[in-house]
Amino acid sequence: MGRKGLKTKDKHIKNLAKIVGDRSILHHKEDLLAYDCDGFTIHKYLPKAVVFPKDTQEVARLVNYCSDNGLPFLARGAGTGLSGGAIPVNGEVVISLVKMKKLLSVDYENRRAVVEPGFVNLKLTNSISDKGYYYAPDPSSQYCCTIGGNVAENAGGAHCLKYGVTTNHILGLEVVLPNGEIIEIGNNGVPDAPGYDLLGLITGSEGTLGIVTKITVRILKNPEAKQTVLAYFNDVSDGSHAVSDIISAGIVPAALEMMDKTAIEGVEAAAFPVGHPRDIEALLLIEVDGISAGIDEQISQILDVCKNRNVREVKVAQDEAERARWWANRKTGFGAMGAISPDYLVQDGVIPRSRLPEVLNRINQISEESGLRIANIFHAGDGNLHPLVLFDARIPGQTELAIAAGSACLQACADVGGTITGEHGVGIEKREEMRFVFTDEEIQAQTDIREVFNPGNLLNAGKLFPSPGRCAEVKKEIKEAAL
Amino acid sequence: MSTRESDVKERPACTTTNLSNYHWSDPPDENKWADCVHCGMCLESCPTYELTGQEQHSPRGRVHLIKSVAEGKIEVNEQFMDPVFACLDCRACTTACPADVDVGGLIEEARGQIRKAMPLTGYRKTVSNFFLHSLFPHQNRLNTVGGLLKFYQKSGMQKVVRKTGLLKVMPDHLAEMERIMPVLTKPVRQKYKNQNVIKAKGETKHEVSFLTGCVMDVMFSDINDATINVLTRNGNDVVIPQNQTCCGALHVHAGDREMGRKLAKQNIEAFNDAEKIIVNAAGCGCMMKEYAELFREEPEWHEKALAFSAKVEDVSKYLHDTGYEKPQAEINTRITYHDACHLAHGQGVRQEPRNILLDIPGVEMVHMPNADRCCGSAGIYNITNPEMAGAVLESKMENVPDDVEMISMGNPGCMLQMAMGVQKYGRNQKIVHTVQLLDWAYQKEDGLRGQE
Repeated sequence: MGRKGLKTKDKHIKNLAKIVGDRSILHHKEDLLAYDCDGFTIHKYLPKAVVFPKDTQEVARLVNYCSDNGLPFLARGAGTGLSGGAIPVNGEVVISLVKMKKLLSVDYENRRAVVEPGFVNLKLTNSISDKGYYYAPDPSSQYCCTIGGNVAENAGGAHCLKYGVTTNHILGLEVVLPNGEIIEIGNNGVPDAPGYDLLGLITGSEGTLGIVTKITVRILKNPEAKQTVLAYFNDVSDGSHAVSDIISAGIVPAALEMMDKTAIEGVEAAAFPVGHPRDIEALLLIEVDGISAGIDEQISQILDVCKNRNVREVKVAQDEAERARWWANRKTGFGAMGAISPDYLVQDGVIPRSRLPEVLNRINQISEESGLRIANIFHAGDGNLHPLVLFDARIPGQTELAIAAGSACLQACADVGGTITGEHGVGIEKREEMRFVFTDEEIQAQTDIREVFNPGNLLNAGKLFPSPGRCAEVKKEIKEAAL
Repeated sequence: MSTRESDVKERPACTTTNLSNYHWSDPPDENKWADCVHCGMCLESCPTYELTGQEQHSPRGRVHLIKSVAEGKIEVNEQFMDPVFACLDCRACTTACPADVDVGGLIEEARGQIRKAMPLTGYRKTVSNFFLHSLFPHQNRLNTVGGLLKFYQKSGMQKVVRKTGLLKVMPDHLAEMERIMPVLTKPVRQKYKNQNVIKAKGETKHEVSFLTGCVMDVMFSDINDATINVLTRNGNDVVIPQNQTCCGALHVHAGDREMGRKLAKQNIEAFNDAEKIIVNAAGCGCMMKEYAELFREEPEWHEKALAFSAKVEDVSKYLHDTGYEKPQAEINTRITYHDACHLAHGQGVRQEPRNILLDIPGVEMVHMPNADRCCGSAGIYNITNPEMAGAVLESKMENVPDDVEMISMGNPGCMLQMAMGVQKYGRNQKIVHTVQLLDWAYQKEDGLRGQE
């Protein structure tokens, strides 16, 4: 609980406290330290203050104050992002939305729900499951990440292969623009509104265009049936080929996940082990869902594909408990790396599925070249790789080595026609890697869009795009200066 | 003023240096925080984060701050103390953590450093010294207090105090505690003072030693009686080593690791001959399973502590593992079960007590949502942080199903706290210890046999 009394001479802190109240602002260094990074821990910066608004009006007043006074600011949810989107690189005022955590309404008839941005992803499914509904996007951090953050990052998840990522489930948004104006977009969830797709633009804008304060999401009816398969392979490329074969067979699994040997070592050493054999090279976790008729046939097709690809062992979950154990093991996979390595850096490249074997080989090479272990836990079905570079920040030089190895993995993805992020966002982590996939002109076209919403660039500056230097933005600045 | 990307200055990633601001022995263990990758999976498990929404009051935030002191970024001071001491030590984060980070251990070690850096002064020192040094470790003094409390209850003074409104001048949370004070009976350590072994009823299958607990034996001696009854009925000879003392959990929670070590050593010696050490208080059991943690710098005691801890078992798990007679008599009641943090998160004992309750004919179990969420008792947290404890209790009580007659659990601190919740929110549930219910079922069975 906040301490009584502000104990500060800083006029901005005092004025911000007037908006949210003395107990809803943090400004002591010790408290601010807890906000110096998010799930991406390589770079740390102290915010100026952290404020906890309770409603949209307070957010708007905070934003107004910051923009009037030239204070950089940004929004933060649970701080589980993996690319540093919520890290206050400019000593921002952090606007934490975790106190705006209400489920405002559920409209079963039209299959939509309205939530505040601080509402935790999994709580939505938990709140509507008794009526037979759920919210599809399921990032592995869904136990604690907020839907506001999901919108900012356009979060994905294991089941996005079949159901799509966050943007496919957003029907309406209330947004506080960087000038303090409150706007509503999305026409109350009526699909296909005329005009530009602003919902699509805001979703995934990594908190650089506005602060989302209310979200209308699509909810889905629980599938009638669900089956989950676990397959162990002695050879990574057999596993990779099985992935392609399953999709080629015309099956659209709800989820198609892969883990390699190092990843398996991690999850088995951690809190939710399943008992996977340690000497396999890869495992696949495959889930199919839908109407009951046909599920068994899909499963038998999947089993056949695995057998054709020399699977060592393949099994179907016998009950919900077993299925839940397999998923807990997978979903806590990133955190589990803590059990085998003091630090990790997770990358998020996307590649065409058919290139899986060669890119995995390349990642293996990068691991050998850098001398750092790289674990792979990823959404194989949609070609979204998550190489986890394991390192120890206490050893001088290792952090830099890890960053370079991560970057090389993204280069490998870009080289085969893929891209640098599937669901974690660019943040500060992959700014430079944006050059792997965009030209200077393309980057400038995007910063021009940002200028429309966020002309002073006070909101979450330094994210998403490469720092100037070789970039067009510098040229623009020079041009402006010359004028 | 606008901020451009060019203003962003890269700084090297942090590295652990030797600039540590922990200046005393037994500092927080670097290997413990090295497991934490800051993923945030712990956030929603933490009651203080749930209530405040502030990350310095979350497990990963606390770990981050504890690490920051070792890196020389901050000092051990009041601002650091606040989040470290606001932790309930409920260990829910340990259950949630994918990497098994021992947050509880780090918190306790950090508290040790804080207490060295900033010793308590004034009123807080007096109160702390009175309870932790002068009272809990001394069974005779506890018994005296127990005697006084008994006198208070029996003499009619309690009635007078309650009627005169004297309670109104006490701080709210202490007045609330007075209202739920259990009726006291004779401590088992006094009762069996001259008896080396309490023999099993029928054939002896095992011999167990019993930790009676310090406060437990005074405030809840009826539960200790029930525990002995249940153990002896199931073929256990029960030994109560007379040299045993307070387990030290409250001291270690408060950062007084010196006293914790002293008590731990006394218990390790007192139970030297024991094969099994049975505990009916989750907090004590959890502490005793972690004694080795206190002796990281004393290898010889570390060994002994490990051997000691391997013998410690919660009574419900022990009964479950060694088998117990299923009661025949019916106790017709609707009941819900609350997971004590130090049983569920601390010792991984969840299903065993539930199975015992389900084995009693007539008992109908009603599920409590978030049953393993802390009740706010957390040792003496409800005395030291009444505001937070009250808020935690409120959300706990919201989860207690309306239509149950009893709430069962395995920890005395929780029992007092939940009784306070029942009183404060106008509920009418009876608070019982799991073994009490089993004991009542046995007694009823015997009573019925007697009538036949």
